[in-house]
Amino acid sequence: MTEPTEQDAAPRPETPYRWVSKPGRIREDRRFVTGQGRYVADITPPGTLHVGLVTSPYAHARITGVDASEALALDGVVAVLTGAELAKDTDPLRQYLAVPEVQWRPLAAEETRYAGEWVAAVVAESRAVAEDGAERVFVDYETLPAVLDPEVAAQPGAPLVHPDHGTNVMAHREFRWGDVDGDLAQAAGTSRVRSRWNRNSTVPLETFGVVAAWDRGRDLLDVWASIQMPQFPEQLAHALRIPTNQVRVHFDVDVGGSYGVKRGIKHGVLAGYLSRMLDAPVKLIEDRAENMHGGDFHGPDRIFDVELAYTAEGIFTSIRIDVIDDEGAYPGRSPLQLAKPIGAIVGPYRIPSAAYNATAVVTNKTGQVAVRGFGQAPTNYAIEAAVDAVARDLGIDRVELRRRNFIQPEEFPYRIPSGTEYDSGDYPAVLDKAIALADLAALEARRDELRAEGRLAGIGVATCLEPGGGNAIFENIMNPANDKTTFPEACRLRVDGDGEITAIISISSAGQSHDTMVSTLVGEELGRDPETIAVIRADSLTGMPSQSPVGSRMTIVLGQAIRGAADELKAKVRAIAAHNLGATPEEVGYEGGDVVVRSDPARRLGWRDIVAIAHRKQHLMPPRTQPGLEVVHVAHTPRSGGLAQPDGTVQLYPCYSFEAHVVLAVIDPGTGAIDLDRYYIAHDCGTVINPDVVRGMVYGGTAHGIGVALYEQFAYSPEGQPLTQSFMDYLLPSAHEVPQIADTEHCTPSPFTSLGQKGAGEAGYMGAPAAVAGAVNDALTAQGAAPIHALPIKPSDVWSALRAAGNEERGGK
Amino acid sequence: MKPVDFELHRPATTDEAIALLAEHAAEAKVLAGGQSLLPLLNFRLARPDHLIDLGRIAGLAQLRRTQDELVVGAMVRQAQAERSPAVAAHAPLLAAAFPNIAHPPIRNRGTVGGSLAHADPAAELPAVARALDAVFVAAGPRGRREITSRDFFRANLMTDLEADELLVEIRFSRAAPHTGADFQEVGRRRGDFALVGAAAQVTVDDGLLSDVRICLTGVAQTPHRAVEAEDLLTGHAPDPALLARAADAIRDTIDPSGDLHATAGYRRDVAGVLMTRAVTGAHRRATETAAEAA
Ligand SMILES: Cc1cc2nc3c(=O)[nH]c(=O)nc-3n(C[C@H](O)[C@H](O)[C@H](O)COP(=O)(O)OP(=O)(O)OC[C@H]3O[C@@H](n4cnc5c(N)ncnc54)[C@H](O)[C@@H]3O)c2cc1C
Repeated sequence: MTEPTEQDAAPRPETPYRWVSKPGRIREDRRFVTGQGRYVADITPPGTLHVGLVTSPYAHARITGVDASEALALDGVVAVLTGAELAKDTDPLRQYLAVPEVQWRPLAAEETRYAGEWVAAVVAESRAVAEDGAERVFVDYETLPAVLDPEVAAQPGAPLVHPDHGTNVMAHREFRWGDVDGDLAQAAGTSRVRSRWNRNSTVPLETFGVVAAWDRGRDLLDVWASIQMPQFPEQLAHALRIPTNQVRVHFDVDVGGSYGVKRGIKHGVLAGYLSRMLDAPVKLIEDRAENMHGGDFHGPDRIFDVELAYTAEGIFTSIRIDVIDDEGAYPGRSPLQLAKPIGAIVGPYRIPSAAYNATAVVTNKTGQVAVRGFGQAPTNYAIEAAVDAVARDLGIDRVELRRRNFIQPEEFPYRIPSGTEYDSGDYPAVLDKAIALADLAALEARRDELRAEGRLAGIGVATCLEPGGGNAIFENIMNPANDKTTFPEACRLRVDGDGEITAIISISSAGQSHDTMVSTLVGEELGRDPETIAVIRADSLTGMPSQSPVGSRMTIVLGQAIRGAADELKAKVRAIAAHNLGATPEEVGYEGGDVVVRSDPARRLGWRDIVAIAHRKQHLMPPRTQPGLEVVHVAHTPRSGGLAQPDGTVQLYPCYSFEAHVVLAVIDPGTGAIDLDRYYIAHDCGTVINPDVVRGMVYGGTAHGIGVALYEQFAYSPEGQPLTQSFMDYLLPSAHEVPQIADTEHCTPSPFTSLGQKGAGEAGYMGAPAAVAGAVNDALTAQGAAPIHALPIKPSDVWSALRAAGNEERGGK
Repeated sequence: MKPVDFELHRPATTDEAIALLAEHAAEAKVLAGGQSLLPLLNFRLARPDHLIDLGRIAGLAQLRRTQDELVVGAMVRQAQAERSPAVAAHAPLLAAAFPNIAHPPIRNRGTVGGSLAHADPAAELPAVARALDAVFVAAGPRGRREITSRDFFRANLMTDLEADELLVEIRFSRAAPHTGADFQEVGRRRGDFALVGAAAQVTVDDGLLSDVRICLTGVAQTPHRAVEAEDLLTGHAPDPALLARAADAIRDTIDPSGDLHATAGYRRDVAGVLMTRAVTGAHRRATETAAEAA
């Protein structure tokens, strides 16, 4: 699927680092490739009971009765729990907006608000029997009017998903930054694009799963989960009405894919409740259908109206983005995804003013959750579609138009109208690299040859940002009552009596290679070989504050914590050594674990000797020094700390990675089938920690973006029935659909992180949907057809666009 | 996604299988390669009490040639037939169809008989059987009977087989010399069930088309034999104007439905495009074989 690029063969630029940025073993790969991963489904404490779910067949209905007697009579069925029973003893799941009327519960209590919503849980000795039981729970429903279209839902008079809230609009915020009216008045023209990012998600191989085991003797709920979620333990405890220090979430569980969606709070509450109720370990592993329509893990589902104003020379003067997001039935955290893009609302372009009108509505669909980029990828797509429209309207080359409007390298840190400062970047250089890699002139020649042969062909270009180092300040923007301003990450470094180093973190990982990242950074900071550094995951009670790997933040924020911990550790090592060398700590230097008197390098103390003193020789320790070599450092997100201004201005994320995509699409004029022929990316995430990890992120994210552009959609019938209940209809791109991707890296270090690193967890995905759509539209518009502005683009959409333009192929080719 | 509890039977002979079917008919399902049935079981859309696995019946997995026919046992794996020189030589359309079915691992398990008995109107093999007027041989407690391909496919996922009958083999007439075939389809991804597909096999006689066989997938409840197009093309050279008329004849006679993946209008129109390509491809191959033979 991927080929090494020429850049790989070229000598790498010298870096000041010993291990960072150098090719190095990806530590976790061996375990995954040899099937030694340990996932939640692998964890089955003795006596485990299994959960099956009764789900609503209706998009909206009142529950008038539940008869579980037949299920309970079944051999092996232990219990049946209804929503009403669960609601008596638990609190609703957390809402981040101020919407107290929205009661989100693991099991619907009085009303079901989407087809597939859980209504009752059956607990049995095996999952198969639990499913048998679930079929024998009979629920009486009175159907209610449902609303599926988000624009209809936002209108007065629409059926209400939560009648007590009085409207389906859960949030509406209007922002204006800079002199929008003045800039519009001065513009020579504007291009408008209405675009549709249909409902999709990151769809992991592993569905969500949880095992909960209540220990009555210890008053402790042990939880193993396929989890990637900030505050999961606390929210579990709150919903279950038990103290937070009675919930222990284990993070040494491999997570089989996530990119945001492994939240599973309702799953955790349900399993935890059942375990306490039945005094037994309880396991709930979603099957694919449950995952797809009842897992509350869908991603953004948006309609954009973008207006981009420009001068006659094609200089952007103002942008207006109106967006309506369909949250599904329970908004939870998802509306916050409308706020994050404020931090990159003008993309990589110098646009002096911006207006942003964001509306979150609920409909009778399964709930949304955070998805890779937290709303940025759809916004990037909408912005890039508008940029391409300006190029068409003005007859300016798309690449040239982007160049004219890029923020220039010398302008950083660059403050965008919405208040965020971009840290660093060199957009023209990265675009140049993409063009060189693609050999754009040759690619255009190839496109034109294909066209001459009677095929449709088009080139797509996208230049997009990836905000990294996420904090949670978008909570404050969308709901001023949320005044959370820090989103910390922590690392504990432990040097044992033998001098071996263990780094302890308190997060689980979903394929991001954190073991590799942490060991490389700790090794670099301490000057010790990363191969020798163990990485261990503490649980939520023995560990430190962590927000989990969201917002492309771990290398940045955990990197900051590692820097802090290493500095503290080194200070202690130097103090011990200085004391024994008859010098002051200021007079000695730390050299890869040894400590040397700077003025007299012959006077030195070795790592092992220092370790021995710290652990075993109180008589050689400086006074008032704790024994051992153990430090914990908790770091804020860089550049966080401020509350949002009333107009929404705030420093959102600290770091801004950048990527430029160039792709050639070839389209069969008779069938509309789209084939991506060549794919090139230049990418800049500052200092790369491990080149293979970054390349893997770029490739994977691009494949994901191709899926969004051409294949993936969670669709519903007008009545609210899910039409995509398996991988037969929810189409993930396979190796056949993802072309060879050539990637080249550029490095503009961030001035705000420990080693200049930025985020890479959303790489590729930030620009691929825009680039692929751009390629299809280049092909269509060359044929006189209208561009398509709704994803995914299907062959039949292409066919319709060609037909509407009078292009018909009645056979041939 | 766990199947309802069932009892698994693994008969060693066809007779044993038929006896089991006779005993359990209404509550039984026959298991071939499992590539369609296992998902149905796991979704609990199929809920048999008894599953009769044909995997151990060696007699059902044979591919043989007679004087005039190619006889494919129901349990011949799709991959096995795909690689068979006999299939390539005597039923070129069948050979052309296989690479379009799913992916290699699925064809390793999936059987020819299973696909035909499943009778998905989007599937390739039913269209091939219908195009080639294959004869289906069923066996049951009342003995054996032959079913024409016209009668075999009743509706979406419905065949003429009785609940206690087994499909044992499928007979294809051996292709005449100077015959070529092509299978054209379009799907959203490679290996997916096609949105619409066209199977064509033609024999070339003095540069003209004879014995034209065209069948479409994905446009009706059963494979759609495009007789109007066949009639228009028979006896003529496949020139663009004639092909265009044949394509329009198809568009005028079919009434496909739309779904999430493609509109009805798309299927109707593209059926004509794919038929044109398939006939053109089949003609080219037939001409090539004629040239090779000469
Ligand atoms: C991911 C995926 C993609 C696929 N894509 C395609 C595709 O593009 N095109 C395509 O055509 N197919 C496709 N298939 C289906 C595949 O071709 C199946 O192999 C085929 O449909 C069924 O054959 P089987 O041997 O697996 O039968 P099974 O699944 O075992 O059986 C199918 C049905 O036929 C019945 N049956 C089987 N054998 C007999 C018999 N001898 N007598 C009576 N009844 C019998 C069974 O009872 C069952 O109802 C795909 C499958 C998968 C999993």
